[in-house]
Amino acid sequence: MQYLIQLLISGLAIGAIYGLIAMGFAVIYKSTGLVNFAQGEMTMITAYIAWTISTTVSGNVFVVAIGAILAAVALGLIIERLVMRPMLGEPVFATVMVTIGLAVILRSAINFIWDAYPHGLELGMGRGIVHLGGIGVRTGQLAVIATLLLLLASIWAFFRYSKVGVAMRAVAADDRTALLMGISATRVHALAWAASSVIAGIGGVFFALSYDLSPAMFQLGLRAFPATILGGLDAVLGSGLGGLLIGITENLAGGYLGSGMKEVAGFAMIIVVLMVRPFGIFGERDIERV
Amino acid sequence: MIKHLAAASLLFTTACLVIGPAAAADPGITDTEILIGDVEPLTGPPALLGVAASIGHKIAIAEANAAGGINGRKIKYVLEDDGYVTARTIQGVKKVIDVDKVFAMLGISGSGQSIAVMPVLEKSGIPTVIDVAPVKFLWEPPRKNVFVVGQSYEEGIIHLVNFLADKNPGKKWGLITQDDDYGITVHDGFDSVVKAKKLNVVYSGNYKKGQQDFSSDMLQLKESGAEVFLAGGIIAENIAMMKELEKLSIKPVTGIFWPGRIEPVLKLMGPAGDGIYAVDYVEPFAGAAGKAFLEKAKPLVSEAEFKGINRYTMTGYAAARVMIAAIERCGKQPTWACTIAELEKTKNVETGVMAPISFGPGVRFSNQKLQIMQADAATLSFKPVE
Repeated sequence: MQYLIQLLISGLAIGAIYGLIAMGFAVIYKSTGLVNFAQGEMTMITAYIAWTISTTVSGNVFVVAIGAILAAVALGLIIERLVMRPMLGEPVFATVMVTIGLAVILRSAINFIWDAYPHGLELGMGRGIVHLGGIGVRTGQLAVIATLLLLLASIWAFFRYSKVGVAMRAVAADDRTALLMGISATRVHALAWAASSVIAGIGGVFFALSYDLSPAMFQLGLRAFPATILGGLDAVLGSGLGGLLIGITENLAGGYLGSGMKEVAGFAMIIVVLMVRPFGIFGERDIERV
Repeated sequence: MIKHLAAASLLFTTACLVIGPAAAADPGITDTEILIGDVEPLTGPPALLGVAASIGHKIAIAEANAAGGINGRKIKYVLEDDGYVTARTIQGVKKVIDVDKVFAMLGISGSGQSIAVMPVLEKSGIPTVIDVAPVKFLWEPPRKNVFVVGQSYEEGIIHLVNFLADKNPGKKWGLITQDDDYGITVHDGFDSVVKAKKLNVVYSGNYKKGQQDFSSDMLQLKESGAEVFLAGGIIAENIAMMKELEKLSIKPVTGIFWPGRIEPVLKLMGPAGDGIYAVDYVEPFAGAAGKAFLEKAKPLVSEAEFKGINRYTMTGYAAARVMIAAIERCGKQPTWACTIAELEKTKNVETGVMAPISFGPGVRFSNQKLQIMQADAATLSFKPVE
């Protein structure tokens, strides 16, 4: 039983990171109808910036958190303004290709700006091990699960009650009508890119805290993408929950079926789910596939 | 008069045709310069080895240039990035040979990439010393112009497992490997010792390249009761595995392989990395030879490059030293044929970073001596144990 619980807890911890990045995918898709293939790279860049702040400015967790959030906002806004906005009105395929190009550039930037060595994000917390009923868990892993749950609740409230959230939903539903209603679609797009960058960036920082920082970190995007598909490409909250499901499934498969099955399990689950619900567990029926 | 001119022209043309080819030098060499080419992963995660190896080449070249170059000619280094993508490696090698027209090649990228460019190297006939990823295919069968400095992955694993088996008789073993050619080589080496020494293997896992979370894998290892563990990851994977084991409060006797034997890894593993064993054929930086190498390198490279030094810098340095020495022995007019012949004559060349290097007639692999090292978390270094 303890073996199962240990697998579940570890699965939830990595799943929470997938979930945060998956929510980043969904925020952009929901607002712009675009799959951002540079999501993993944006996650990685934010984590590297957090590490730079911790090693050059201050290792204080609040300084690093605020600095990383501001950097993630700036990163999202810069990409939206310089790269994505000029692509408005262009075919979806071309825009998606631009995000792939962006991914390659951001990936290479790691070696140009930082280096290829792995680094540890030292914030004086998050790396300690606590024992819950004899099961060892890092405090950072517990924190990321709590953060995901908190963000899920906050985002639900944001979309449900805030004016900006309702505007974003309006643009997602019908951007032309939203425009006639006085909502600036470009402003909503910019906000979506910034929000996506921050949410995924939080996942990246937690990953760096619990594991390590390395140029291979962009692959988290590939791991989180199935979570978005599973939860629903247009379902922000569903993507977060999808991350948890993928994390748990991967770990149970790895623990009971063998190491090799760990990577396959998430994708196998997607195939099954998409055969039954092509729009994902929480997604809307009318969905554009890119 | 016209007849005389025609006869003179004919004589001149004939003389050019006869003398010309004999006097023409091979590409990449002028009166003042010799070009040496290299293709390495300078971007992406494998840049860790590619950048470090290129720094080793630069150190050897800077050292030679500071001493006056090769018989008066300065060495110029032409470096291309392949991003660890095989198609780009082939493209890069073709570019440095055909466009930059280098005289010799060093490197080249990873094992798969070196294997893929072998037909290009063989066809061109350019003198080449491979130093980054030694795998048997590169020297079996021996190619006339391609030499390999290092030791095979399989031999490395056999040496490490034999050492751990002798030190821990009757213990239960666990192994995890990557799902690629590197992992297969590690597994094959391990299996050969398992059969010979009848080891009790209770866990054998396999992970997909790029995997970052090893929680279920290490939990399985714990459940299996393994007491000796061969961590077949490269860099980040081994760190993640050791930290998972720490979380699970177990500390099996652990061995890692040389691609992951770089000092920053120990810092990231923290106390979990203390005491792990590693096998390698280059000297540890904590030893006298390692310290001497760092002293030598410091004035020859930039501060950023100095920080990028790791074990691959030593392999790159040794290969470049061997190549430079061979060209030097060819005298004032080195050619590809002479350089290849001199490389073949390489006998006990001291580089200070590994055992003396030798090749021979039909021998294109230097077959370096291996040594076991142990990690010391307090000093963040590997120290020899044999």
